[in-house]
Formats: sequence, C-alpha cells, structure tokens
Amino acid sequence: MLTNTKNIEQVFKSVGTSPIRPDGVPKVTGMAQYGADYSLPGMLWAKILRSPHAHARIRSINTSKAEALPGVKAVLTSADLPNQTFDYIGPERVAVNYWHMTRNVMAREKALYEGHAIAAVAATTAAIAAEAIALIEVDYEVLPHVIDVDEAMHPDAPVLFEDMITRGVEPAPTKPSNITKRLEFKVGDLDAGFAAADEIVEMSFKTAAVHQGYIEPHSCLARYGADGQCELWSASQGHFVVRAYTAKLLGMEIGNLVVHPAEIGGGFGGKTVVYVEPIAVALSRKTGHPVKIMMSREDVFKATGPTSGGSMTVKIGVKKDGTLVAADGVFKLQAGAFPGSPVMNAAMCAFAPYIIPNVRTVGFDVVSNRPKSAAYRAPGSPISAFGVESVLDILAQKIGMDPLRLRLKNAVKAGSPTPYGPKHSHDGYAETIQALLDHPEYNKPLGKNQGRGVASGFWFNGGGESTASIHINEDGSVVLATGSMDVGGSRASMALMAAETLGVPYASVRSTVADTASIGYNHVTGGSRVTYATGLAVVEACNKIIEQLRLRASIMWDVDVKGVVWEDGFAKPADKSVGEFEPLSLKAIAAKRAVTGGPIVTEAAVNAGGQAPGFSTQFCDVEVDPETGAVKILRFVAAQDVGRAIHPKYCEGQIHGGVVQGIGWALNEEYIYDKQGRLSNAGFLDYRIPVASDLPMIEAILVEVPNPNHPYGVKGVGEANIVPPMAAIANAIQRATGKRLTELPMSPPKVLAAIDAV
Amino acid sequence: MLTGGFSRRYTDGVREFEIAARTVRGVISAMDRLYPGLGEHLEEETSLAVNGVIHEVVYTQIIPADAEVFFIPRIEGG
Repeated sequence: MLTNTKNIEQVFKSVGTSPIRPDGVPKVTGMAQYGADYSLPGMLWAKILRSPHAHARIRSINTSKAEALPGVKAVLTSADLPNQTFDYIGPERVAVNYWHMTRNVMAREKALYEGHAIAAVAATTAAIAAEAIALIEVDYEVLPHVIDVDEAMHPDAPVLFEDMITRGVEPAPTKPSNITKRLEFKVGDLDAGFAAADEIVEMSFKTAAVHQGYIEPHSCLARYGADGQCELWSASQGHFVVRAYTAKLLGMEIGNLVVHPAEIGGGFGGKTVVYVEPIAVALSRKTGHPVKIMMSREDVFKATGPTSGGSMTVKIGVKKDGTLVAADGVFKLQAGAFPGSPVMNAAMCAFAPYIIPNVRTVGFDVVSNRPKSAAYRAPGSPISAFGVESVLDILAQKIGMDPLRLRLKNAVKAGSPTPYGPKHSHDGYAETIQALLDHPEYNKPLGKNQGRGVASGFWFNGGGESTASIHINEDGSVVLATGSMDVGGSRASMALMAAETLGVPYASVRSTVADTASIGYNHVTGGSRVTYATGLAVVEACNKIIEQLRLRASIMWDVDVKGVVWEDGFAKPADKSVGEFEPLSLKAIAAKRAVTGGPIVTEAAVNAGGQAPGFSTQFCDVEVDPETGAVKILRFVAAQDVGRAIHPKYCEGQIHGGVVQGIGWALNEEYIYDKQGRLSNAGFLDYRIPVASDLPMIEAILVEVPNPNHPYGVKGVGEANIVPPMAAIANAIQRATGKRLTELPMSPPKVLAAIDAV
Repeated sequence: MLTGGFSRRYTDGVREFEIAARTVRGVISAMDRLYPGLGEHLEEETSLAVNGVIHEVVYTQIIPADAEVFFIPRIEGG
C-alpha cells in the first residue's frame, strides 16, 4: 500500500547512540586481519602476467621457460579453466554472463585492455613468481584499440567482439559493433510536454571513468585439499557471491568451497566481483599447496573496476512558475571490456526525484578497451545526475527561481510517479531540500570568485536475502552472527538493533561475520541493503530468542509461558497472579539452560522487501582562482534522509565518504591513457583522490523520515550521498565564474580554459 | 505491469495485464499461463513493486485487492 511516512517520535536506549565499533580497536592497533594478512604452512606465492597491449589477439602462450624455473610449482592459463556457456543470467540491470566473466579473470582469444590477466604462476617465493612471469612468451597480434565511449560507438571503431550485435534494437542490426544493448523508459508525450514549456535547455555532458579508490588492493589465500574441499580467505563485499562465482568458474560444487570473510579496506562496490580468487583456487588445485595472491596498486588501477565513463545529452522543459513539464535523457556508458555498465540505473535514476509527466530516458551500454567496469556507490546514478542537475540549475537561473525551490516545487513524495513505472512509496526528498533552505549558511553572501551550487540525488536502496543467528553464552552475553560483510560499521548497527530489541547493554552483544559454512546465505553488502535487510533478520532472530527466553523462564518458574513477559532485558511475571518471582536476566536463564532444554540459539532468514529509497540534497560553496583554475571547496553541506540513524556517527561517516568521493570525481579523478591505450597514472600519486588537507569539514544533516516497513525505521544510507556532488560543484563553479563546465573532471586546466574562453 | 524492455522481450510488447491472484505465486502462475516460460524470467530477473512498495519476488507475498503490481528490473548497488 502507499505509505505516507511521518516523523514518529520513539525513545530508544541503544538505537541512535554512537558507541565504538567492534572492529575499531583491532583496526587502529593493526590487529585486524585483511585478505593480505593470512598465511598457511607450505604456502606458495602467485603472480599474474598482464597484457601490455590495450587490444590484441593472443596467438600463442609458451610457458615452458617459466615452468622450468626452480621454485615454480605451476603455471596457469585460460586452458586450465573450463569454458562457460554464453548466456546472460539474472536481472537485466546486472545480468551475469559467465562466458565474459571467465575471460575477464583470464584472457582467452584476446587481450582486451592493458593489464588484462594472461597467465599466472605459483612459486615458492613472490620473487621467483615475478621472475617466472617474465619468462612466459606470448605471441600477440596487436589490434587497434578504442577507449572513449563516443569513439567506441562510432561505426568505424575497432570492434572488441566480432559477433556482438546490439540487443534491444528492433530490427536487430546486421553488423557487429561495440554497443551491447539499448534500453528505454518512457511515460507521457514528450513532444506535447516540450511544446508546453516556457524554457527548454538541452545540453551534452561527459563524465570520466573513475576508480572506487579503495585503499586495500585485492588479495586472497586459497587452500584446495586432496579431498576436493577448498577454503578461501578473501576481502570482498560478499563472500557468498565470491563462493558462487569462484565455484562456477572452476566447475566446482558450491558446497565444496568455504569462503572466510576477511576485514575489508574499502570496496564501494568494486569488491562485489572476483578477480584473483578463481586464479588462486585453480593454482592451489594444480599444486596441492595453499596459494596467496596480492594485487599491487598498479594492478588495481589497470585491471579492476572502475565505474563507467559516460556521455549524455539532457533536455528539460519548464514553465515560468517552475513546473517541470518534460525531460529527455540519452545516456551512453562504457562498460569496459565486457558488457555490463550501470546504464539502466543511470536511466532509471536520472529524473526519479522529480514529478515530470512526460519523460524519456534512453541508455546505451558500450564496450571499450579498458578494464571491465564494476559497481561504484549508487552505480550509474551520479553519472546521469551530473547532466540532469546541471540543466536544472540553468533552468532555475533562466526563470529566476532559487534552485532549491525549483527542486522543492517538483519534488516527489509518496504516491508520485516514477519514470520507470511504479509509484514512489515513501516521503523524504522534500525534507532534505527543506533542511538546506533552513540552513543558516544557505543565504550567506559570498565574495569575489565564489559561488554556491546545489544538487540532489536518488538511489533505490536494496533489500534481499540475509540471515542472522543468535546464541546466548553461558554468562548471558549475546553472540550475533550474520553473513553480511562489514564495510561501513554494520557490526555495530546490528549489535545496536539487537541490544535495543533484547533490552540489554550494547557491550554485551558480540557482533560477528560468519563464513559461508557457518550461516545461511547472505547477499552482498552493497546497494545500501545491509542495515535494512540484515537488520530485519537480526530483529527477527532477537524476537525468536525472546520467545525462547520466555519459555525457559516459564520452565524455571514452573508456570505457563503466557505468564512471562520480556521487558528491558529481563523475564518478568506478567502480573501478580503468576507468582512472586524476581526478574530473570539473560545470565540467570543461561545458567539454567541445560535443565531447561539445552543451548539457547536461533536463526532467522529474510528475503527483505519494503525498503525505502535514498534522497540527498547538497549545497557547496567554492572559490575559483582565476589565475590557475584551481577550485577550493569552502563549505559543503549534505542533507540526506536516513530513515532512522541507528548509529549516527557512522551515518555521518557514510555521508562524508560519499561526498568526498564525489568531490574527487568532480575535480580531479580520471584515467590518462597514452596513444597505445596504456594507463599513465596507475597510482595514487598521479590518480588524484582528495585527501584531508584538500577539504573543509563536511556538514552532514541526518534527516529522519522513518521507514514504516522496518521496526527501527531504517533506510539505506551508503550511496545516495555520492550522487549530487559533481553537479553541485559544477553549479557552484558556474555561479563563481559565469562559465558552465560540462566535462569531468573540472581540473584546473579545464576550468582555466573555460574562464579564458571568449 | 511490465517495463517496456521486459515486455518487448517476453510479451510481444504488451505491458499491462489484469490478473486475479492473492499472492505473488498466483500472479506469476497466471502470467506463465499467458506466456509459457515467462514465470521463470519474472522470478530470476525482477523485483516487484506492490502499490509502490518494492519487494523481492517471494511466492507467499500477499497481494492486496485492486493492487498495482509492477515488475521492475532487480536492483544491485555498490
């Protein structure tokens, strides 16, 4: 049913506090174990040979010299991995094709990007492995390459797959191209809509492909036993998905592979896929030894992620009173070497915050000779938002309307239509706009060369499958396990929800992440789903354990279970008629567990729905140096509807992180390729992400419009905050300089060129 | 209701249907009778919005009377 959310005042003891996270002390003292920290006796080291060419046919691979090197135990090529059927499986938005996936893990017919894995060596030391890969002789036929998305769509562009016919076009093209598919969403009558507009703006934009920029390179350790049982230690955003992909690519039974979760040093979507895991398992299977692989930073830039670069044209029509009447967006996203950019998300999210009766979005997924794109924080949405939110800013100026008020006038609420079909079912967007309108700094005057820009963003947020288990220790402490990798403090938020539900102190709840053999399936930690979906599983598990505790207490008192209530962490008599009994703590009940039935444990599983989307509205003040084009962020304020902040500090942290990544995307980050399609800036020195000294304190405003479908009102927080920053900064630069930049990054040379242009 | 792309692939472009069903299983079964094989695609490829509220495809999900059920591409994030 349609749900109009209201701010409901509830009083909590644990939810809404900000205690130290369970992984806090281990992480700051260096005791936390990441993927690279695991070792086993008899372990071998693996190195991967990577293509020096952006596009090349692989004629032959001669591994004999490498195999002969003392200390080398095995050499792996794609011949050691089973081929996969060509078939798109699963939801269209993120369809998996294992034929592509195995070729991304290790090249077969062609090298499709510089850095593409060609072969791998396992040896007794890392140095020997490195020496061995240099001895592998590969006969390449170098082919013309293409990097840019617009160039890749050109009819004369070098084609990556000679049999790739664009899907979603009727009739189907007869010639192959690099366009893997076309999609479209449409409501209303575009022509009539634009005919009714008083002002129309149509403009084209480009965004750069950017890496997720996680500090921790991919690493893993695999041990394949002689009995066919395998264990894998890997830092990922979803060890169940790692298990599924690795097993599939190696032709293994899922049940024969156990994946242990390691701490993760950032993922942001980029660690929801596999790169090194299948290689490590294959080498371990081949050698009979554990095998460890650690990517270098250069490997990470050349062979993982990034998010797509995009090229788009956005057209919006508005009436003089600010009513949006029509919108059209064409979004072309590069997927890297294999299909699967987030173009559908870009098309669905672009106009989603606004009530517009006539809307069309068209998307193209395009391959090119660069690493296969991977998810990056609200994948696709920031890209289309850059164009849409920039055009809205131009329109606001044309009709003389405050840009926040333009957004507020057209803001969706529960019951509003979406461009992709169903109605919105939650409020929250207007509240984020109002939070900025009410901000004391929003109307503060600015100085010379300074400007203020605003933008908004939307992200769906996710639900899906999660499992949680609880058991009560002998001392009454609570062990809570889920299968959700902790990438943003979720162990703390799960413990807070458990503590609140059980009525016990947060400090008495031990929150852990279990391996794939120890708990039921959990989908990836991504899509801003965990606090919502896994939180639901946790609350359900707590409610089930409460029923057990009531039963145990009733047995201890020898009364009917209906006479026992659970209140503030104690079993109590429901009323005086039950009898005179002192309240029983978890510790007291646990002490009698043997005589009341044994260990006190439970598990709960959900396939969660009912999640609410995320909305973020932001304003920033910038100062542009007219001599150098350098842009300084003076102030950044980000309001986001978080539903209910289970752990407010970590919600703030998520907002800070998304904004900072958006700032880097806006101002600095890009891949620089030479004429041979080789990456020139494969390291953090030259791939410039923001550091603390670049930025002011970012003010996060937690707007709480609780989600009634969750016991604690949770809405996902992690992603919506990266959607607005690029447009907000572009709009601020325009206000500061009078110049509109339409291409990211807005680095000093580009800003200076715009300023100096006549 | 189906999105345009999904309908073009599986239902000859027909996007709207009137179905009598009390659960998601009932909806999928009815759609599968209209277009044999469609049920598997609905299960594997979509989420659904029941009167705007997004759900995963779960057989036992109750469908209220006169509800709008919209099958949309399943969501993944980063």
